[in-house]
Amino acid sequence: MSAATQATNLLEIRGLNKNFGGLQAISDVNLDLKSGIITTLVGPNGAGKTTLFNLITGHLKPTSGTISWLGESLLNMAPWRIARKGIGRTFQDLRLFNHMTVQENIMTVMERGSWLWQRNAIDRDRVEQILQETGLESKRNERAVDLAYAERKFLSMARLMAAQSRLWLLDEPASGLDPRSFERFVSLLKSYAARGVTICIIEHNLDIVIQLSDTVAFLDQGRLLAQGSSQEILKDPHLAAIYFGER
Amino acid sequence: MLYLQLLINGIQTGAMYALIAAGFSLIFGMTRVFHAAHGATFTLAGFVFYECYSLLQWGLLPALLAAAIASGLFGVLLNRWVYVVIQRHEGSFFTVFAASFGAAIVVENLVAIVFGKGLVTVSSDWSRSVEMIPGLFVAPMALVAVVVAVVCFAVLHYVFTHTNLGVALRALGENPTLVDVYGLNQKTLAKYAFLIGSVLVVPAAVLTAMTSGISASMGHHIMMISIAATIVGGVGSLRGAAMAGLLFGLAENLCLAFVQPQWSEAVTFVILFLFIVFRPGGFYGRAIVS
Amino acid sequence: MLAYIQNIIVLFSINAILALTLNFIMGYAGIFSLAHAIFFGVGAYTAAYMALNVTDSLLICMLAAMVVSALLSVVLALPALRVRGEYFVAASLGLQIIGVTIFSEWKSVTGGLGGMIGIPPPVLFGYTFSSTGQFVGLSLAVLLGVLVILALLVRGSFGRSLMAIRDSESAAQAYGKYVNAVKTLSVAVSAGLAALAGGLYAFYMSFVNVEAFTLNMSILLMAMVIIGGTGTLLGPIVGAAIVMALPAALTYLPFIPSSELGTIQQIIYGLAMVILMMFRPGGLVGGRGKEKSA
Repeated sequence: MSAATQATNLLEIRGLNKNFGGLQAISDVNLDLKSGIITTLVGPNGAGKTTLFNLITGHLKPTSGTISWLGESLLNMAPWRIARKGIGRTFQDLRLFNHMTVQENIMTVMERGSWLWQRNAIDRDRVEQILQETGLESKRNERAVDLAYAERKFLSMARLMAAQSRLWLLDEPASGLDPRSFERFVSLLKSYAARGVTICIIEHNLDIVIQLSDTVAFLDQGRLLAQGSSQEILKDPHLAAIYFGER
Repeated sequence: MLYLQLLINGIQTGAMYALIAAGFSLIFGMTRVFHAAHGATFTLAGFVFYECYSLLQWGLLPALLAAAIASGLFGVLLNRWVYVVIQRHEGSFFTVFAASFGAAIVVENLVAIVFGKGLVTVSSDWSRSVEMIPGLFVAPMALVAVVVAVVCFAVLHYVFTHTNLGVALRALGENPTLVDVYGLNQKTLAKYAFLIGSVLVVPAAVLTAMTSGISASMGHHIMMISIAATIVGGVGSLRGAAMAGLLFGLAENLCLAFVQPQWSEAVTFVILFLFIVFRPGGFYGRAIVS
Repeated sequence: MLAYIQNIIVLFSINAILALTLNFIMGYAGIFSLAHAIFFGVGAYTAAYMALNVTDSLLICMLAAMVVSALLSVVLALPALRVRGEYFVAASLGLQIIGVTIFSEWKSVTGGLGGMIGIPPPVLFGYTFSSTGQFVGLSLAVLLGVLVILALLVRGSFGRSLMAIRDSESAAQAYGKYVNAVKTLSVAVSAGLAALAGGLYAFYMSFVNVEAFTLNMSILLMAMVIIGGTGTLLGPIVGAAIVMALPAALTYLPFIPSSELGTIQQIIYGLAMVILMMFRPGGLVGGRGKEKSA
């Protein structure tokens, strides 16, 4: 717990509300995401977890409330600009650049800030490093659509690494991974968390939640009901009832 | 008086456009297929009717039926034999659009080979304009056109709100996965969407053939109107597409009071452009910004 | 015979440039435009106007053509690209239709239906291009130039940005791509380079009129790109060659009346488009290039 209290707040969400024409998707949420901490968002389907991500990344605009990153407000910022501030996300349906090779997927994310030609040469060493960390070196010239399932998951992580994001918003990143890939995945996340990356994961699989999380936040019907260690949250009978649908 | 004349012409044209646009909007909204061959459906319906009614001298009803069967079959079979096949292995917007476009080209040129490239009219007593009041010429056909359009929309409305199929079709437009709840599958619904959407052009095609005439290359203009009306009306809204069709019909005719005929097509584009810039969601739809 | 072949080479180069530039936005950026013939036309009319009224310098006329065409495309693209691709198709179809009307009506600039005649031969550093043979060299050189420029763009970071946006626009945005700027820029490049073909056409024919810039031409160009194959640089060239060879091949078939040649041609490439999209979406060169994303 001491690590969690000592880390700095990087993403601060205060009083966040999102209303879709009558449907209150997010309701008065306060959340802090700290450097080097892996936070897992859990909750029943439709609780608003992906909506929360969309609000942070700028794909949706909040009805009220504030979101700030490193002290700077993200409200009214275009998604691509928010991305360049260091906030990265993965998608549940991956959305890889399917017809491009693994290497091209990584390179294109690293190429930013220039339109017709690249001002600075790409850091080839960094590309190599990412390929190694995600275990994709031998697949570098394969098209993304031709990769195996686990490899595609790792490619989606590779893009985050290529973007040098300091906040990772991961939407069910580990679902469907075989045990060995999952181990590699966990150690990848932990190594980046150790380097100070802030990680927030949406996850349904409770085993994964237990293994990965430093802290868990429970969302239901747009409200943040509780936040604490995975032990505290998962042992709470009240929350369990909500999670499993008995109200 | 000129304005009144143009207004009446506009309503007549608008009623036709409303039907055609509703057909396209139905297909696009329900199946997400950019059915660029919709204009060809119109051409096909019109010429089949012409062939049966004027050339083969069939009665009105049999000729109408033939046109309806032809257009319905065209839509359904194109979906079944081409779009579905493409969607099975690839299904990107571009591929389907290109195939649809190719099909439209084939149909329009086949029609041109059989019937020539010129304008063809189906003459009937009702096409002849009657001077209702001095300076105002209206063909009975114009009234028929409006009445037919209104009836079609009333029927559509009923089908969509009171029948199992209709409600399911609307659900399909909203959320494809929900459809299983109704015990119908997506493929069947898509078939119905294409069937209804394609048959909707028949009244418009027949009436146009009877009034201003049809030609093999009209499909492009019809396509333009269909797409524009779907956008201006709002993607996913049949009502919107119909209203937008009416708007375009009116605009196309009323503008003749101010500009020369060759610019009337341009008016459609200007309206479309204005909507894209200022109100991409159209009348009723949501502007889906990816 | 030599003149016949030379003529074909010049026309082929012009068509190939148009197909390449159209493929740049369709195959690489995923932007579908039905108005490419208009940018061809804008380039032709601008070059012709400059040559007739200002200067016969090749460089200046071509530059003017490129700038006007690129600017026009930006005006079209900026609002239309903000929303879905279907909107751009509709807007481009509208532009194609209205463009033809403007070409036919704006007599003072475009010569109206009669077009512009008597366009003087262009001059480059004192060298005048007037014979067909000279145009062969010029058009091939321009084709080569366009190929090189597009290859550099496509193989570099810009090409990767385009393809990323084509494959998943939302992901591209989520990873920092300024999607609107990239798309608009690609449209500008496409239209600007297409204008070069327009300039070539105007100078070679020494006459321009609206007939060459109709919807039929846009459709023809689309057919070239689709048949040859999107997403490759060779595809459009192959497509241009095939579609151009078609009329000549058809004249060898005795049972086709010459009045129907145009219609039969269209039917053939309409069919080709349908069949190719069903079984070989990448086109003749691309093969099964596009596969469904898992």
